Amino acid sequence: MSESANEFETGRYLYCVVTVDDETTTGEELARTGVDDEPVYLVVEDDLGAVVHACDALYDAADPDVVRKWLLDHQATIDAAGERFGTPLPFQFDTILTGDDDRVREWLTEESATLTPHLDALADHWEYRVEVSRDDAVLDEDLTADDDRLAELADRIESAGEGTAHLLETQYEQRLDELRHERQAERTRELAERLEPHASEVRELSPERSTTLDDDTNDDDAGGATTQARASVLAHESDEEVIGDVLDEVAAESGVEVRFTGPWPPYTFAPTFDE
Amino acid sequence: MSERGGPTRRSDSLADVVEMLLDKGVVINADIAVSVGDTELLGVQLRAALASFETAAEYGLEFPDGTDMRRVEAASDRTPVEELDDERDEPVINESGSWLSEPPITSDESESDDHAKPPSQPGVGARPRVGERSDVETDENEDGDDGDDEPDETGEGSDDED
Repeated sequence: MSESANEFETGRYLYCVVTVDDETTTGEELARTGVDDEPVYLVVEDDLGAVVHACDALYDAADPDVVRKWLLDHQATIDAAGERFGTPLPFQFDTILTGDDDRVREWLTEESATLTPHLDALADHWEYRVEVSRDDAVLDEDLTADDDRLAELADRIESAGEGTAHLLETQYEQRLDELRHERQAERTRELAERLEPHASEVRELSPERSTTLDDDTNDDDAGGATTQARASVLAHESDEEVIGDVLDEVAAESGVEVRFTGPWPPYTFAPTFDE
Repeated sequence: MSERGGPTRRSDSLADVVEMLLDKGVVINADIAVSVGDTELLGVQLRAALASFETAAEYGLEFPDGTDMRRVEAASDRTPVEELDDERDEPVINESGSWLSEPPITSDESESDDHAKPPSQPGVGARPRVGERSDVETDENEDGDDGDDEPDETGEGSDDED
């Protein structure tokens, strides 16, 4: 943690909110420690429980390894809570409520009208992430085979002089790029359509990640493949297998690879509180 | 895919974890400090760049010759557009990063009075986030907080003035 001015006297780092049973009381500890090895416990108000640890500063570090460790700690803590209490409402990393347990309880009371319906709706539902990538060579072959404009440019390049050929090649690349983008959009739509019958909700994601952590080299690039489509799926846990089967069909196409991760706490489907 | 049927959570899932935890999850706007320097910057730099395209386009600025506009458009499509809408006058766009354009330590513009008192420590000032701008009375500036160089008088010149 940096010794920046981002400090306060009392705060509670929030991991998630869960629906608790009658036996759970404030102070009950979770079986694992959280971010920065802090002991994690529950603050209970009625049937809502906030999973927290006490802190007096924001979590901030320049070292990606430290951040990575924190993120995994955060995730693992929410996993543990999910295992114990069912689908949690996960908080964004580094969400801190200033104040003590009483303040957390107040917040739970204030927001119970929002929290409870969300928890009920999400019960036994988890988030799954799907990423479809396509081998670059196969993809380009497909694109060139289907496009008249590219065929025409290719012909002209062959019969053109050196200078003209160079310009035409630039046009060729631009056209190819355009087709790649079109194809990505198309693929993303297709993927969402195939998943929708088995999911409560599907969100199309941009093929490129919005967030990366340092020099994360993109595995797909390394393998000569480009991400064609990404989607975030909210599904009942009993539908996980069906979705896997659908994805197997998608993966059966030549040059196509599918990454299917989960079950995650429903990060993408958690509410935002505008106060 | 390596394991037929079911989902996986292997080491290469870290990218998913990073994206979800920095970007998604329950987000709270008031009475709460949600802020991390470098951690979020990683995500925000990209979004800031995308937003500047959009902002530039909006104000009719010209892109350099040779800019591939399709790419720019594709790029700005990727940013959550609704977030951009509220932030016309700020260079930084997204809800999880709006404090980055300013020092993280200000307690001005903290939220309305019907929700608990404004944080007493400057370090925990809630940065107002997307959406707040429109419906929040800002600035009571009761104790002349430092870090705020705008000499705005109470009430006047606040964001909500029409």
